[in-house]
Amino acid sequence: MGFFSSLSSLFGMGKKNVSIVVVGLDNSGKTTILNHLKTPDTRSQQIVPTVGHVVTHFSTQNISFQAFDMAGQMKYRSAWESFFSSASGVIFVLDSSDRIRMELLKDELWMVMDHKDVASRGIPVVILANKMDIPGAMTAADITTALGLNLHRSGTWSIHSTCGLTGDGLDKAMQQLSTEVLKCLEARKS
Amino acid sequence: MSIAPKNKGGQPSRMKTNKKDEEASGNVYAHLDKTSVLQECRAFNETPINNKKCTFILTKLIYIIQQGEPIGRTEATEAFFGVTKLWQSKDVNLRRMIYLGVKEMAEVSDDVIIVTSSLTKDMTGREDLYRAAAIRALCKITDTGMLQTIERYMKQAIVDRNSAISSSAVVSSIHLMRKSAEVVRRWANEVQEAVSSDNHMVQYHALALLYQIRANDRLAVNKLVQKFSKNALRSPYAVCYLIRIATRCLVDDDQPDSSVFTFIESCLRHKSEMVVYEAARAIVSLPQTTPSEIQPAITALQMCCTSPKAAVRFAAVRTLNKVAMAHPNAVMSCNVDLEKFITDPNRSIATLAITTLLKTGAESSVERLMQQISGFVNEISDEFKIVVVDAIRSLCSRYPRKHTVMMPFLAKMLRNDGSYDYKKAIVETIIAIIEENPDAKVAGLAHLCEFIEDCEHDNLSTRVLHLLGREAPKTPNPSSYIRFIYNRVILESTKVRAAAVTALAKFGAQCVDLRPSIQVLLKRCLLDSDDEVRDRATFYLKMLTEAAESLIHNFILDGLQVSPAGLERSILDYLRSQSYSSAFDLRTVPVVQQALSQPEKRVPQLIEEEEKPKAPKVEPYAAQLAAIPQFAALGPVFKSTARIALTESIAEYTVHMIKHTFANAVVLQFECKNTMNDQLLLDVSVELEDPDGEWESKETVQINKLPYGEIHSAYSLLEFPDSGAISGSLGAILKFKVMDVDPTSGEPDSEDTYDQTYVLEEVEVNVSDSVQGVAKTSFASAWEALGDDGTREETFQLSTVENIPDAVKKITEILGLVPCERSDRVPEGKTQHTVFLSGVFRGGYEVLSKATVAVDPSDNSIAMNIIIKSNEPLVADLVISAVV
Repeated sequence: MGFFSSLSSLFGMGKKNVSIVVVGLDNSGKTTILNHLKTPDTRSQQIVPTVGHVVTHFSTQNISFQAFDMAGQMKYRSAWESFFSSASGVIFVLDSSDRIRMELLKDELWMVMDHKDVASRGIPVVILANKMDIPGAMTAADITTALGLNLHRSGTWSIHSTCGLTGDGLDKAMQQLSTEVLKCLEARKS
Repeated sequence: MSIAPKNKGGQPSRMKTNKKDEEASGNVYAHLDKTSVLQECRAFNETPINNKKCTFILTKLIYIIQQGEPIGRTEATEAFFGVTKLWQSKDVNLRRMIYLGVKEMAEVSDDVIIVTSSLTKDMTGREDLYRAAAIRALCKITDTGMLQTIERYMKQAIVDRNSAISSSAVVSSIHLMRKSAEVVRRWANEVQEAVSSDNHMVQYHALALLYQIRANDRLAVNKLVQKFSKNALRSPYAVCYLIRIATRCLVDDDQPDSSVFTFIESCLRHKSEMVVYEAARAIVSLPQTTPSEIQPAITALQMCCTSPKAAVRFAAVRTLNKVAMAHPNAVMSCNVDLEKFITDPNRSIATLAITTLLKTGAESSVERLMQQISGFVNEISDEFKIVVVDAIRSLCSRYPRKHTVMMPFLAKMLRNDGSYDYKKAIVETIIAIIEENPDAKVAGLAHLCEFIEDCEHDNLSTRVLHLLGREAPKTPNPSSYIRFIYNRVILESTKVRAAAVTALAKFGAQCVDLRPSIQVLLKRCLLDSDDEVRDRATFYLKMLTEAAESLIHNFILDGLQVSPAGLERSILDYLRSQSYSSAFDLRTVPVVQQALSQPEKRVPQLIEEEEKPKAPKVEPYAAQLAAIPQFAALGPVFKSTARIALTESIAEYTVHMIKHTFANAVVLQFECKNTMNDQLLLDVSVELEDPDGEWESKETVQINKLPYGEIHSAYSLLEFPDSGAISGSLGAILKFKVMDVDPTSGEPDSEDTYDQTYVLEEVEVNVSDSVQGVAKTSFASAWEALGDDGTREETFQLSTVENIPDAVKKITEILGLVPCERSDRVPEGKTQHTVFLSGVFRGGYEVLSKATVAVDPSDNSIAMNIIIKSNEPLVADLVISAVV
């Protein structure tokens, strides 16, 4: 296994197909981040609020992702959960400069992490503290405390500071996501 | 409006895969179970997606929705969410099935709006294969609020170079017009650009949309026709549509533009057959065209008749058939071509040709044509048989003498098998012939008697029995019909038995010498198994043995002349009031002209329908009036008139008046409409003033707020003056406050208002408002039954009318009475005619009138002698005062 997978990754073929769900409050930068992850020639110039959801394809070194870019507005949030069951990973995007909505954010995040399709299947949740470039934005550590993430025992989660416009921090986060997803799939197989 | 069939995405590939299955086991979709299909939809949630399997399941799902299988909202929503996950597949066929699926599920599922972004992405993407279908699906699920967000993309799509995309965007916009017209109107510039497209379909669709955008603005439509009639459109479909718009313009306009007509006429020389036909059809259907204008169109239709295509021939003959009554002379020139069609292998064309010839042909050719048509009448469908029957009916009214040929033919058709509609058309035709032509009565009744001997439709049997009861007693030998009727009592279902008993009773009432034997028959009916039949028999038996002649007339012959809805309301009110000390008074029920048992007459399809103002119906208004507390005490409505316009139809504010007469008062209802889009009218009321000072309005109800384009009603209550006058004319002024508003948003510019008045035409209250016409079946006996106390007679010269029929019409209108026993039909060439009129005066007093009109042969002046009788002398005085 080890030999073949390293071999196939060497030639960049036989990539694993994985579907993930991208959630987060409205105006947190989900679509912008996904836009940045696409190849330069497929990027769209204008980002408008998503209605419902859009399927986006992008890939890292060894995984080809199909991302369900969910709408963050209040009325569409109920639709998130119906997509968890078929996902192998969750990206939760938040706006680190939005201190006012931290409590709401906490509720939504915990709801996602405690959802039966997420918690029981042990799929990884990657939290992206977006908009770190804005002056006065909270740091990843501050957010962890504010959201009470250190109290969360079950499940695998990680937090990264990112900037969707420039792409800072995204590479590291995606690396982490790939590893976690593969680990999770491996664990489920055995 | 017709829209070309939509291009259903993904169909070809689906067809291919299905074909194999079908060959193996017939229709694989035939016996699908809803639950199992919905169960299978869970496959949509699997990863990775199995494209083939999901496409097949989705097809099944769409199939069961198409079959009209009801699907619960939660189930449908669950399946819909499954469908949304299929977007991750890149398979083209599956994606196009998704679009179809989304469109089908848009109505049955919740939250369909969540696919908006996915569809927007596909619609603006690079894949042309997706774009058109995505636009259609997107427009189906979107609502007005969401439309604004995709507006930009729609504008781009309308002017897209790809014709499929442009066309689908335009057609979707046409559908959107229904829900969010305001948004679509903003796309007019793009649509205009699409009209100049090279593609035929795009041009046609864009023109249709452009017309719909401007349809409310007559001037703009006119301009549109002018513009496009000058620079020729390439698409024949678009030209056809333009012809239709132009025709609408010509019909609606009071002073039609002659250039519009010239355009339609020039289309007669278009190279496309379709356009030529459309133009010809448009011209012949226009009202008020001169023979010289119509001639080229008829020639064009004649050309179409020689086309090798059956569809074109059919269309041409059908159009000729339709206009045969309106322009018989013009159509006559085509008779040679039509003769050729009699033997056309296409039976539909042959039927239409023969019926056209029957309408236009000379009396001498009738026999030959009838022989032709009877040769194959069994081979054509019922629908066309009805066309034949209608042609015969119009023929009989033109050549009454031909009934000897027609009657046996109709009777033969009646004996053959056929649907209910077909039988109904024949029976109605025979009845019409009997009523119009006394010579045909005996033969016609004999055929109908034979028909009911073996009739499977209860409705028709009861109608024939009713007719027999009314007409047969007046024939020379009434006793011969009784056997047929009594057979019904023995053999038929309850409904027919009851009708037969009533028919028997009518014989008894009208033929005194037959009365004893009728009584014997009715006695036998007392043993019937059904309540209704026994009840009727008992009642009639009692009446015939004991009651006075006048009572027999009132209760057996005339029937109950009240409106069913009115009767229901009155009885309900009586029961609600809970005071049973006084008996229910039938006179409080609004009366109608037709007796309850009289069926509505069907107008034959081939005779051009006349545009008549709709008969006023008391009921819809009664509920409106009852809702207004000021008028609650007035009691039931006696009569409501038709809508009378008090302004010109193009005025800034249009007002229509409806007069509602009550026992002691008149309520005038003013339906006001505001046509100024920059004004909001407040406190709208109508002020009435009587120059003679007799009438004054006791109560007014004003409209608080009248925004642009809406219709609301103001009311005025007038009481009948003490002086006893029942007619008068009053000046009317519309009074209101104006508030200026922004035309687009309807928001007021400022709080300022200013008073305004608007002079309306005079309001007239006539005698006819106090009289409701009620027809009597037997006028002579009713005339005798009323005493001589309330008889008034008057003779005078008529200067305003020229001939007898006009005079008869006029007097009927003035008095508000209706003619009885068809006495309003004046035989031609007579110099004297008497018309019998009857009705009810408000309060329930009977009014009868005999009016004799005579022409003085020396100077052609017309004189009228009128006798009015009523059971209340005062009423007779009032009514006669209306004439003098």
